[in-house]
Amino acid sequence: MSLFYALYYPCDKVRDFAYDYLEGKLGLLTGFRFKRHLRGCEECQEYIKLYRMAADPSKFTFENPLPSEFLDHTLQFLKERGVVGDG
Amino acid sequence: METKPLQGGERSDPFAEVNAPEFLARLLAGGRESQRTFGWLVKVTHDRFLAFARRSLSSLEESREVVQEMYLAVHKGLPKFEGKSKLTTWMYSLLHHKICDCIAEKERSREEMVESHEAQLSTETNVDSWQPLTAWDAPADRVLVRASLETKISEAVSALPVAAREVYHLRDVEGLSGDEAAEALGLSSANVRVQLHRARRLIVEHVQESLRSDVIPGKATR
Ligand SMILES: [Zn+2]
Repeated sequence: MSLFYALYYPCDKVRDFAYDYLEGKLGLLTGFRFKRHLRGCEECQEYIKLYRMAADPSKFTFENPLPSEFLDHTLQFLKERGVVGDG
Repeated sequence: METKPLQGGERSDPFAEVNAPEFLARLLAGGRESQRTFGWLVKVTHDRFLAFARRSLSSLEESREVVQEMYLAVHKGLPKFEGKSKLTTWMYSLLHHKICDCIAEKERSREEMVESHEAQLSTETNVDSWQPLTAWDAPADRVLVRASLETKISEAVSALPVAAREVYHLRDVEGLSGDEAAEALGLSSANVRVQLHRARRLIVEHVQESLRSDVIPGKATR
C-alpha cells in the first residue's frame, strides 16, 4: 500500500466501513475516500471482496440436505403429542 | 396467495406462505384442519430451523431436540400469538430461547462434572452421524479452488462466537431484515448490525489466515 493513500484512510478504517459500503450507505465524501483508498490498496480490495462473499453466502454455499428421517422423527414426535395428524 | 398445505411438488417461498394471515387462521381453526396445517408448517420449515440450531449447538441430536421443543412451544403459544410479527420470526425467537436453555443446561452439567469434561466432549462429537457443518465442502470432482474457499468460509462460520453466528445465520444466510433478526434474538437493531459486521470481519480474517497458511511452503494445506 502506498504511503499516499495511507495518509487518507488507514486500512482499518476502510474495513470498518465495509458494512456501510455494502449497504450503499457511505456518504459522498466518505465514499470518495473509501474508493480512493481501495484503488490504491490491493490488501483492502481483497478484504472487501471476501467481505462481500461472506455477506452473501447464498451465492457460493450449498448445504447438505438433511436426511429425511430427521423430519420424520420430528413429525412422529409431534404426532404422539397430538400436534399433527396422520397425513 | 395459495396457503393451503401443498401436496409436495412445487414450492415457492414456504416462509412467505406460512407468514400469510390466512395461514395463521388455518392453524387456529382447530381439529384436523389445524393438525394438517401444522404438519405442513413442520414439513416446510423443519430443515431451515434445524440448520439454525446446528449453527449454535455442536450436536445434531441436541439440535433436533430443541427444534422439536420449539414446535411444541409454537403449538402451545399459538392461541396467544397475535401476529404482530411474522410467524417465522416468532418461531426463530422461540428456537433461540430453546437453544440458550440447552447451552445453559450444558454449561451447568459441565460445571458439575469438570473432571469428565473431555470425555463428554468426545461423546458429543460422536453422537452425530451426519456430517458436520464444515462438510459443506464440495465433492472432489468439483472445482477445487472455489470449493476450498467455500470450505474456509464455512469453517470460519462454525468458529464464530455463538451470538455473532446466530446473527449471521439469520441475516446473511436466511435473509431476515435487521429488525426481524433483532426481534428473534432479543437484541437491539444496532446490536444486530454490530454483531453482523463483527461476524463478517471474523470470517474474512479467518479465511485470510487460512489462505496464508496454504501458501507457506512446507506447511500442510487443507
Ligand atoms: Zn488498505
